Amino acid sequence: MSEIDVESAYRQRYERSLKALAIRLEAHLCDLFDEVNHIDRISARAKDPRRFAEKAGKAENGRPKYMHPFEEIQDQVGARITVLYESDVPVVEEVLVRYFHPVENLQRAPEDSASFGYFVPDEAVSEDVPQFVEIQIKTAFQHAWSETNHDIAYKSDADLTPEQERWLAFAAAQAWGADKAINELVADLGPDPEEGSTR
Amino acid sequence: MAIETAHSYLVHPGKAASAQPAISATTVSRSDRLFELLTKIYDGAPAECKIDISFQADDSGHQVNDRCSQFDIYLTKPTLARGRAIAEELQLVTTNRSKLGLLFLVTGTEKGQRRLVVSRFPADEGIVAQEHKSKLSVEFIERIFMKNSHAYKSACCQVSLPHKGLWRGKAIDHQISGGQKEISDYWVREFLLSELSTTSAAGTRRAAKVLREAIRSSDDLDVRQELIAAAMLMRGQDGRVVSVRSICSGLGLSEVAMALIDRKMPAADLANEQFAFSSEEFDKHLRYRAVELDNGAVLMAEADRFDDVFSREELDGQGRGMERFWTEGRVEDERVRQTK
Repeated sequence: MSEIDVESAYRQRYERSLKALAIRLEAHLCDLFDEVNHIDRISARAKDPRRFAEKAGKAENGRPKYMHPFEEIQDQVGARITVLYESDVPVVEEVLVRYFHPVENLQRAPEDSASFGYFVPDEAVSEDVPQFVEIQIKTAFQHAWSETNHDIAYKSDADLTPEQERWLAFAAAQAWGADKAINELVADLGPDPEEGSTR
Repeated sequence: MAIETAHSYLVHPGKAASAQPAISATTVSRSDRLFELLTKIYDGAPAECKIDISFQADDSGHQVNDRCSQFDIYLTKPTLARGRAIAEELQLVTTNRSKLGLLFLVTGTEKGQRRLVVSRFPADEGIVAQEHKSKLSVEFIERIFMKNSHAYKSACCQVSLPHKGLWRGKAIDHQISGGQKEISDYWVREFLLSELSTTSAAGTRRAAKVLREAIRSSDDLDVRQELIAAAMLMRGQDGRVVSVRSICSGLGLSEVAMALIDRKMPAADLANEQFAFSSEEFDKHLRYRAVELDNGAVLMAEADRFDDVFSREELDGQGRGMERFWTEGRVEDERVRQTK
């Protein structure tokens, strides 16, 4: 299947079911986390057809990376839960695994997601609904870093120079450090009097 | 749809065994009458296996799962020897309670994907009667398989090969329809190294919300009361593996009430989705609060709406506990009931 064919086939799935699934997933997550403190935002999206086709066409060691991209690319629908503090991540994780079965549940630090995993969507199984959705939990700083990093590094046609790579690494470290500093501060300040719990 | 390979293994209870019994195995040939039966099982597996399962991840969070690896190896090239490795794993988790079993591994190709159907039938007992010229001989046999369809377990996976993605599958265990969690543990958790895809909290939450919506939307008072009664009785399902449909049918809900619940389900198939019921989770979403006064009055409403529906005021402030409750609304039903 050529990249154009893959994009066309995926676009059909995207229009027919993925966009609607992302909307349902976002609404479902908002409902689940309605009473959880320090949630900055919850958003879900279906992977853009062009980006899917690009990813599907990637090579590894001179061979196609994905022989069956519709089965192997697991982030066709993804959601992100952005929290204020690093200490909120395990709280959100706990709620998440109570309601979604984690198929993979991974941690990436410091430069990428605080926590992400592939979960079984809370949907009736059908050929058009992907078997897995990706859900990320990030702090506000990680979210900001991730968005800019994605825009700069992943979308850049040319490879970054060593100095540019160093700037990116510096920015990642700043985001990581900011989370640690705020977390320390929040721990020092103690429980939030209005919420009766740790900030 | 056509079966490409079918292998069968005699699996002993080996969980507590000090030495594992040898596993006899055979290839089922196309000319065998059994092949026809296996074809039915293979063709019907996607519909028959109603329980959505997810293979467990390892301690690091990756889906590195021995059973997926074995299925992958077997699907790539199904041989008697490769299937025996799967049978050995089943034997290691089979208890005397689960008895001797006949395991079938059946493969085929569907829409470019490889399908594996794994089925287990426990040994049963029976009597064989044979007529000879002048006499009848009867014999008691302890190794009869496929006699009791209620004890049948199966699982089905379908993937493209080589498979680099995550695994999901479907399973059926007729014995867990009765809600016996320990049996589901044997087939789904211990052998398939999987979990029910619908978590206990997710399934229970959906059941509670659907029931709550059905109660709120019903304009038939009898149906509403039937559903409220069902909501109270459902709490008794705690820890049991159920589906919304199995609970409703177990409680003997009327067709009208069941149809209303069906209409409130986000998708029809979800009514059959199996999960372990949690009364704690259920109470978070659907709970009734009743206050009984010493003058004989009983006030009842959904717990999270009780304080909106009823206003209350302490009367004397002298610790005698006298309170006034009041509410306003249109009378929809008024009945006289026998007291206890």
